[in-house]
Amino acid sequence: MILVKNLLKQYGHGPSAVQALKGIDLKVEEGEFIAIMGRSGSGKSTLLRILGLLDMPSGGEVQIDGINALKLAEKEKARFRLQMLGYVFQEHSLIAELTVLENVYLPAVSDLANTNYKKRAGEILEIVGLKDRVKHYPSEISGGEQQRVAIARALMNQPRTLFADEPTASLDADSSKVVLDLFSRLNKDLKQTIVMVTHEPEDRQYVDRVVWMKDGRIVNG
Amino acid sequence: MKTILGNLKLALFLAFKSMFKGNKWALGLIIVVMAFSFVNLIFTSAVISGVMATMDSQMVNTVFSNVIVSPRQDKYYIDRADEIEARISQVAGVSETCAHLNTRGFIEYGWKEKALPWDRVKSGSWNVLGIDPLQEARVTTIGHNMIDGQYLDENDTSSIVLGVEVAGGKSAQTSNFLTLGGVNVGEKVRVSYPNGIQREYTVKGIFRAREMMQADHLAFVTHKEMVSVLGRSEFANRASEILVKADRNGVEENLAAALAATGIDLEIRGWKEYGGSYRSVISTFEIIGAIIGGTGLVVAAIVMFIVIYINVLSKKRQIGILRAIGIPANAVLGSYLIQALTYAVMGITLGWLLIRLVLQPYFIFNPIDFPFGFLSLNIESARIIGSAIGLTAAAVLAGLIPSWAVMRESIIQTIWGV
Repeated sequence: MILVKNLLKQYGHGPSAVQALKGIDLKVEEGEFIAIMGRSGSGKSTLLRILGLLDMPSGGEVQIDGINALKLAEKEKARFRLQMLGYVFQEHSLIAELTVLENVYLPAVSDLANTNYKKRAGEILEIVGLKDRVKHYPSEISGGEQQRVAIARALMNQPRTLFADEPTASLDADSSKVVLDLFSRLNKDLKQTIVMVTHEPEDRQYVDRVVWMKDGRIVNG
Repeated sequence: MKTILGNLKLALFLAFKSMFKGNKWALGLIIVVMAFSFVNLIFTSAVISGVMATMDSQMVNTVFSNVIVSPRQDKYYIDRADEIEARISQVAGVSETCAHLNTRGFIEYGWKEKALPWDRVKSGSWNVLGIDPLQEARVTTIGHNMIDGQYLDENDTSSIVLGVEVAGGKSAQTSNFLTLGGVNVGEKVRVSYPNGIQREYTVKGIFRAREMMQADHLAFVTHKEMVSVLGRSEFANRASEILVKADRNGVEENLAAALAATGIDLEIRGWKEYGGSYRSVISTFEIIGAIIGGTGLVVAAIVMFIVIYINVLSKKRQIGILRAIGIPANAVLGSYLIQALTYAVMGITLGWLLIRLVLQPYFIFNPIDFPFGFLSLNIESARIIGSAIGLTAAAVLAGLIPSWAVMRESIIQTIWGV
């Protein structure tokens, strides 16, 4: 479960300061699939990056599964991101020198106790429908397939929560549908908690709830 | 410990994938730049070191041998030279000895054409050495460096052998007016000795030892002839100096100490103590070598730094992605450190192979014809080790500093530049 209390984010100082988040309160239940929607500049990506521990707020609190995540030291945050969270970027987030399979099992390589990570990566690639692409490099597959590889990588360490920052923004309609269907399946079949930022109104059909943002505030949710 | 090993495994995985599955041209370029930087460092110093080694060896082989035994400072000659030579020969590390009986000689060429006795002809003062040709040939290489005519025989009394800088002519480096102006083998020269004796000699040979400063400015007659010139029978067993050849070079100080320990009451010095202007030349070369070597290392290090720095910065976004998905900082830094070390090892190895398999054989078969000898590369182990360490350190810094700087930025800034 994610609990956000009075989250603030300010860029810059003085008169030119921009208040990106103006006191966000949000609760995401375990197994929930929510979409954060709003216009450009509404603060939805800023919120997601803070929830994904990629950025720090100016104030407020974020609890993930009872842990005050913002209080963690940098090393602990990295471990938390590696073990508890999955993050899917908008585009181009794969390591070009690694094959599809290697990109997927990358987050598990440092875990010496995990000797089955290659097998698990193969299984996840099967789930995302890319079993036949394991030996390909990112440049050899389509944008939609790359996003599915990124999703598979985010799932590698069985995260409690999956964050996705406009994962279909750079995809065509068919590829977008495949990715969103995949999120939907992960949520329904594996009870995966998913927090997704999106621009597309039609994406609402895939999620349990939509959180609308405007000018750094949640306007419903 | 488990975490460290885990990070090391991940760092190795990322490093080798990045190097060998990444841009092959970039990898090749970095390694080639490293290799040539290394070659440049070694080559320049090897040439300078080769110059010094050649000069050293020329001095040892043509002028001084390894150790010079000379009279006590209050004497002009070594008495009972045979006995001294015999004692010297007993000392461990001594290979051969030869005695010289030296004096100054005023040498003239073409004096018969003078209209008046005080007219000046082609002439000059040079050191004339009385030698035993057989003994001399075992210690110095003068006899092997005849460019015209022949070396002396033991019983020659009317012949003289001249250094090319005494004889003059086309082969000499010295201006013609400071030489005999081009005397030829078979022609006569007249030598006036300090005791007033004048002798006419036939020039039997002209040598070019390629040691311009001293050896090529000498003239040789036989020891027998010199005893006759000096005119006293006791000179038969006297010497101006005894050259001592060691069984290997570089042991002069120890050998001189060993000779002194035998109780020989004479001046015993390693050849470098007689270097004079030669030493200042060598010192200058050493300074030049140090400056070029130091500058080369700095330049090579900067080149390395720039090449690897650009490579790391081009992967800034990738570093951000790795951090965002939770890859530990130590693993990311470790991967760039491993890459830098691998570049260094591969570059230095390639450079070393180029030196050993291409440059060194080339210069052995095509030595540079320097005025003082044929020059090959003199590659010193210490220089190789120093250069390798220097370049490796530069590569490591070049790998670590930019990746460390990127790691200090926020993830947001690293990925999105905001």
